[in-house]
Amino acid sequence: MFESRIGRNLWHSRPRLCENQLQHSRGRLCHMLIMLIVALTLIGCGDRSSKPAADNDNPTIALIMKSLANEFFSTMADGARDHQKAHADEYSLIVNGIKDERDLAQQMSIVEQMIAQQVDAIVIAPADSKALAPVLKRALEAGVVVVNIDNKLDDGVLEQSGIDIPFVGPDNRDGARKAGEHLAKTLKPGDEVAILEGVPTAFNGQQRRAGFEDALKAAELKIVAVQSGQWEMAKANSVAAAMLSEHPNLKAIAASNDSMALGAAAAIKAAGREGQVKVVGFDNISAVQQMIKDGKILATVDQHGDQLAVYGIEQALAMLKGQAAADDRQTPTDLITAESIK
Amino acid sequence: MGELRPSRRAAIQRMAAEYAGMTLVLAALVGLFSAMSDHFFTTATFSTLANRAADLTVIAVGMTFVLVVAGIDLSVGSVLALGGSVLGVAMAQWGWPMPAAAALCIVTGLAAGAVNGAITVAWAIPSFIVTLGMLEIARGGAYLVANERTQYIGDAIAGIGAPLAGIGVSPAFMIALAVVIIGQIVLTRTVFGRYMIAIGTNEQVVRLSGIDPRPIKAIVFMICGGLAGLGAVFQTSRLGAADPNAGIGLELSAIAAVVIGGTSLMGGRGSVINTFFGVLIIAVLEAGLNQLGVQEPAKRLITGAVIVVAVVADVYRQKLTRARS
Repeated sequence: MFESRIGRNLWHSRPRLCENQLQHSRGRLCHMLIMLIVALTLIGCGDRSSKPAADNDNPTIALIMKSLANEFFSTMADGARDHQKAHADEYSLIVNGIKDERDLAQQMSIVEQMIAQQVDAIVIAPADSKALAPVLKRALEAGVVVVNIDNKLDDGVLEQSGIDIPFVGPDNRDGARKAGEHLAKTLKPGDEVAILEGVPTAFNGQQRRAGFEDALKAAELKIVAVQSGQWEMAKANSVAAAMLSEHPNLKAIAASNDSMALGAAAAIKAAGREGQVKVVGFDNISAVQQMIKDGKILATVDQHGDQLAVYGIEQALAMLKGQAAADDRQTPTDLITAESIK
Repeated sequence: MGELRPSRRAAIQRMAAEYAGMTLVLAALVGLFSAMSDHFFTTATFSTLANRAADLTVIAVGMTFVLVVAGIDLSVGSVLALGGSVLGVAMAQWGWPMPAAAALCIVTGLAAGAVNGAITVAWAIPSFIVTLGMLEIARGGAYLVANERTQYIGDAIAGIGAPLAGIGVSPAFMIALAVVIIGQIVLTRTVFGRYMIAIGTNEQVVRLSGIDPRPIKAIVFMICGGLAGLGAVFQTSRLGAADPNAGIGLELSAIAAVVIGGTSLMGGRGSVINTFFGVLIIAVLEAGLNQLGVQEPAKRLITGAVIVVAVVADVYRQKLTRARS
């Protein structure tokens, strides 16, 4: 509920401190510092504009993820590192992640750092579908190949800024539809269901919600609540608990990721309604597999997270070699149930 | 401090003034949500609400102590995640039994708190900075310990967090209540508590009176860390899994609860019981807004407004109490 932004606030408060001191007599040091920063920035700009066409025969690819603390993204990064080890003679890899999935500013500055570092390609899972477009445009202008993975950049914004960035990744809507259809098979028309969506600004979250809605509406189920669990287990737990109290006849909760599905399953258990309320998730993280085997979570969707970054890297390599156009590429999604885990 | 011992009647009057405001706000919130939702005023709602509030309650008690000595602990959310990760790994991977793993979790919290306290007093650094460092360190530690994975534990840990049949509240909530009562007694009825208030009021005077404030402050930070570890046990038990991302922003919820309860950020004044009311107000607000299906932007606006209003109301309550005594 209350996000910690203290670090950033501290940073913002620094220049103000300088202004204050300038007004007083001890401004000389501050002045020198500002000059130094300006000088460094200028040097940085100079470097960027004199980017050579190709540093050597071995391209460098920067993989920019969302939170590496999230299992889904760390699996993705591990998959990419393994791929790089197997193809060490073809490219080198820099993996970067942000501290918390919603810290857009940090992700933007990582993109800028990667441009400054003159990488050949950036493969990025954007923390926001819209906000990253301008900085990625700067990357394209600096001659960097950009490939978008995981969370698709908004088409409207891409068009507005006049850039074309290929999206390599799964159809989240289709994946969620599969889970929703599997869930609908166990229910009857008119049953009450609820959706725990992700962060509402993220495109993949919107797509998953839409996929669930497609399937649930097609089966004539009644969607009584849609609320955000912010992708988090504890947050989803409290939202799910409230949904369960508010809707005594609730038959199922469709969660847009597995962390939230775990939170919902715990809420159902606490409410003593295990077996009466079904849960589906998305991502197939290791923690849910036991829950699926035990029947506490009905199904999840595997979008082959370990391969997602690799698909993006392959696309970037092909584009660097001039073998591929900047076209979207769809990767597979599979429904995971107790039967398929065995 | 320093005032004449008031008569018994005045003491009761003061207590009524002290708790009446909080009870009123709480009752108003419950009344409002009950009117707006058919299913809010039910035992099921209050049972889940109480059980969910256990972790924030114990952490807010620790935060009250820290604020009373004019410190602040920004690391509690991360320490909770670190403790939870240790607990999760101990049970899911090393196969430890629940009591041993829970003890290790609390010890982890105590250790983090001890480091906070030791550094704060040894170099006389503002605790804001030290615990800001610990916020990052403990979070990094949590990711390392849990290998950046959610640790699934399952039923082995459900005992403390699950509501008991018959009374509807979990052992976790009862332990949390006990912590509140003990915390209030320590703060108001012990020499240690008097020292805490004195340090928060004027540390210089305490030192000049021949009492070394440093060990007391260090112990307060250690208690806060240990309670964050206890909170981790409660939360992990309730969710059946340990998430290294747990508790992001929890420090601000805890500070909000403590401040709503009228504890001064400047130190020297505080009440654990009122902190508990602050926790309940936050918990009721969260549950109510969730149950009404209020969307995220409105939720945040309302939560923020309630915090500010509660603190403004507290200023008037203070004036009233001072005028009476």
